[in-house]
Amino acid sequence: MPEIRITNLKKAFGDLVAIDDLTIDVKDGEYLTILGPTGAGKTTLLRLIAGLTEQTSGSIFIDGECVDDLPPERRKVAFLSQSYSLFPHMDVWENTTFGPIARGWDPEQVEIVGREMLEMVHLYERKDALPRELSGGMQQRNALARALSADAKILLLDEPLRALDARLRLDLRHELKKLSKDMGMTAIHVTHDQEEALTISDRILVLRDGRIIQSGTPKEIFNEPSGPFIHHFVGEANFVSGVLKAVEGDRAVITGDDGQDYHTQATGIKPGSRVVTGIKTEFTLMTKDRWGVDINNFTGQIERILFLGRFSDFEVKLDSGQMIHARLPGYQATKFRAGDRVNIHYSPERMLVFPEPDGGLKKELEMV
Amino acid sequence: MNLREKISNFIAGKKVIKGWYALVIIFFIMLVIVPTLFVLTYAFTGWDEIQDSVMTDPPEIQFTRVQLPANNITFISQDIIDVTQTYSIQVAYETEVEMHLNYTITLLNDGEREIEFQEEVMVNGTGSYTFIARANDTYNYFHHVGDGFHTLTVSNGSGLIETWEEPVTLRSGSDRPWDLVKNALKVSFIIATIVTIIDFTAGLPMAWLMVRKDFRGKKYIDTLIDMPLAIPTAALGFSTAMFWAVTPGLDPYGSLSLTSSPFVLIILLHIVFSYPYMVRSLSAILQEIDINYEIAASTLGAPPLTVARTITLPLFRAGLVTGIILCFARSLSETGGTMAALAMMSPSMGELAYPMKTGPTLIGAWKHAGGFEPQLAFTAMILVIITLILLVIIKIVIMKFKLPLRKVMPGPERLLSKGVFPKMKDALSFLFMFVILIIPSFFIFSFVFTGEPSPVDWDGFWSAMSFSFFVAAVITIINLIFGVPLAIYIVRGTNKMISNILDVLVNVPLIVPTSALGISLGMFWGSMDLGMTTLLVISAHLAFTFPLVVRNVAGAMEELDPTYEETARTLGAKPMFVFRKIVFPSIKFSVLAGAIMAFTRSLGETGATLAVVKDANTVPVYIVGLVKAGDYYPAALACIALIFISFITMMLMRYMTRKAGDG
Repeated sequence: MPEIRITNLKKAFGDLVAIDDLTIDVKDGEYLTILGPTGAGKTTLLRLIAGLTEQTSGSIFIDGECVDDLPPERRKVAFLSQSYSLFPHMDVWENTTFGPIARGWDPEQVEIVGREMLEMVHLYERKDALPRELSGGMQQRNALARALSADAKILLLDEPLRALDARLRLDLRHELKKLSKDMGMTAIHVTHDQEEALTISDRILVLRDGRIIQSGTPKEIFNEPSGPFIHHFVGEANFVSGVLKAVEGDRAVITGDDGQDYHTQATGIKPGSRVVTGIKTEFTLMTKDRWGVDINNFTGQIERILFLGRFSDFEVKLDSGQMIHARLPGYQATKFRAGDRVNIHYSPERMLVFPEPDGGLKKELEMV
Repeated sequence: MNLREKISNFIAGKKVIKGWYALVIIFFIMLVIVPTLFVLTYAFTGWDEIQDSVMTDPPEIQFTRVQLPANNITFISQDIIDVTQTYSIQVAYETEVEMHLNYTITLLNDGEREIEFQEEVMVNGTGSYTFIARANDTYNYFHHVGDGFHTLTVSNGSGLIETWEEPVTLRSGSDRPWDLVKNALKVSFIIATIVTIIDFTAGLPMAWLMVRKDFRGKKYIDTLIDMPLAIPTAALGFSTAMFWAVTPGLDPYGSLSLTSSPFVLIILLHIVFSYPYMVRSLSAILQEIDINYEIAASTLGAPPLTVARTITLPLFRAGLVTGIILCFARSLSETGGTMAALAMMSPSMGELAYPMKTGPTLIGAWKHAGGFEPQLAFTAMILVIITLILLVIIKIVIMKFKLPLRKVMPGPERLLSKGVFPKMKDALSFLFMFVILIIPSFFIFSFVFTGEPSPVDWDGFWSAMSFSFFVAAVITIINLIFGVPLAIYIVRGTNKMISNILDVLVNVPLIVPTSALGISLGMFWGSMDLGMTTLLVISAHLAFTFPLVVRNVAGAMEELDPTYEETARTLGAKPMFVFRKIVFPSIKFSVLAGAIMAFTRSLGETGATLAVVKDANTVPVYIVGLVKAGDYYPAALACIALIFISFITMMLMRYMTRKAGDG
């Protein structure tokens, strides 16, 4: 069974620690996504599993067998790189059958596997084409067929959709997952695109500075982020630092550093502690008229509007001086102009509370 | 897992691969770098000898009056003879019958006496006879220096009357060897500097033309520029000297006979074979520079000359460094052509008596004369040190030095960018190429077609030819076996520090003058006492051609995206399979180019061969020997045969590399 167990894995390049004491279990047949900002160590992790880089310490087990001393070709792990790396001097057929031939299968079997894989990705008709004659999507499918035909049970995907245009990316996401499930493979998919991670994964690992900061289903990651960073990284959020005043029933009250009271979800944190509370920008309500309820109501002025197509992003300067963002769907966005006075409302059930991070809020939210 | 699989897994195992790389690196260090730099150790082990034989003034010549009782023979004997001067000894006699005077100078060579000079006369009555060894006489000059004896025997019809014998030392010049070295190196460096400056001035417009302009026949011009590279320098020296210089005893149809200064001739010669390197380096980097910068500057109103000077040139430095180092090193290192040219300007003279010497020709002459080991080691040591320092300085100066390029002079530059000036520049570039490069290179054909044929020793030629080919083939094969893995390690190696150091070290044999390299190698292997001429020649040629293969392959490896290899590995391919199916198809043309460059360089090399063993029989050495002896016709035929062979290989290379460019 293709399951992967990684224990206390560490990789340092000189002084720079890329992977810091990682322990991960990937279940058989799971589609796992590693999500993280640029430089989090995602690609390094894949390269370690594939055997392309040697770890500083720690071990990797595939199907219970320690593979630390095995060269890449004996790990039976198919690696699909960002640029696909289709061999430029070989045609689609030669690329696809590279793995079986390299492993010394007999010609009939090579023929069968090559054909099966190319038909599966709808490229059999183009088997004589050279990679440069294919479109981006076809190249991606060719690379996938090549990776799948190599008899590997583990598929490592390094930002496989990055080089494609937006529309194609959406289509191929699902195809990728379906193929890997159909073939009974265990897949690890690396991406920095939170939307991609949320739609495709069985489970997401959020990686930052070489460490796992949260592991969970897409819903858990989105709704119950483990800290301000993930709250912000997976769907943007507005934050306030302050002191937890009281917890009553399913509500808590926080006195923000701006002097205002914020009503939030309940929390297990001890009252009196320094905390951070945040709300995703799409749950930040913005109206021209004053909101009916009394709590979490603020006024401010629209400074800037960013048109994003289906959404618009509003930058609002609250009267307390704080800058916040609100995200409105297109049909509502047309009602507002830069300079308009607006009312902002945070629903308490959407406001998550975290202990204040060690380095302060600003440092916590830094992407790199 | 069956046995075969086990074995192939073992071969592909990390340890085996690491071991193989370690072996390649050890080969490189032990067979290329250490022998190349070995001469530097002489500063520690042989300092006393250097002081004795290089730094101290040679002793004054002592004259003694000799009187032999028989027939009242008197003469003045000297204990030292300077072979660069005409030497004479006047013998006075009084005799009543016919008498034979036999004067002989013998040199000791491994305990054997070898005759260096001998003359016998018959005299009668009272008078004197003068024996003369002229510095400029073909047959009566001294070929060697060293210790020996001079002997005067007096005999008549009935037998020996008397023999006089005293030790004598033949030496070259009355200068301190240190002064000779200093002068030769000064000449070498001045020539290299002038040649590099001319190469750059004439090469830049040509590189520009070849990259930025399109014109009919460009393809042919492109091939013509490379032609001198295909001709062994010994042949080039012969041909160029015939074309430009006053060459006593040789005046082929069409010869210009313009100069009798060896200095000017050597400069003209060195331009011929270094100019292609400059044009190639400059156009390679020019091709890399995005033409959009130039277009942007033009649309902003800058005249072409301003654009070239302020936008393109500053982006140029890397190519400039390569070009300058290559030209400078080539000029500094060249031996065969320079020897041939000097021999033709000063025929019937011993090499040690030539009016001008460069570093490499001094090494050649000393090595040929024999008995100059400390001097040779010292000269080679100085050359190695200076070239290494110079390499660093050139790199630093060009990278750090700010050229005054910011200032814009729209008026004059606009004027110079218009009308007749650019056309003149282009015309001059072509003129330079034809007059300085192409015609002198091929002038040898004029001599062969119009000159007086004389008998040719084809056996000697073919034996030299087969030896040269044997050496070239052996070193090419060894270079491929060890050079390709080393190049891969330099580019792909996991230990960046080791690969960076190797990267720098690889360039060392490329810039160290080959004659210095030969001396160093000779010392290194000589100290091991292998004693085989062929092995010595092969190891010398291996050292200076090795970088050519490594450089070419490393360049191609850098272009190759490592993810191809990594992907292939994850797909189940073992390292050798990846090399065969992925790496080799992508770099094969560079491997081939490197192999052919190594082969032709080995075929054309004189300096290293002569420096390592004085009587090795390669074709260029054979040609230089013929030229020195004044056998011009056979020398020319040998040159032409060598030119044809080199040409075929070069055309092959161009055909292959062009195919690579298309594919």
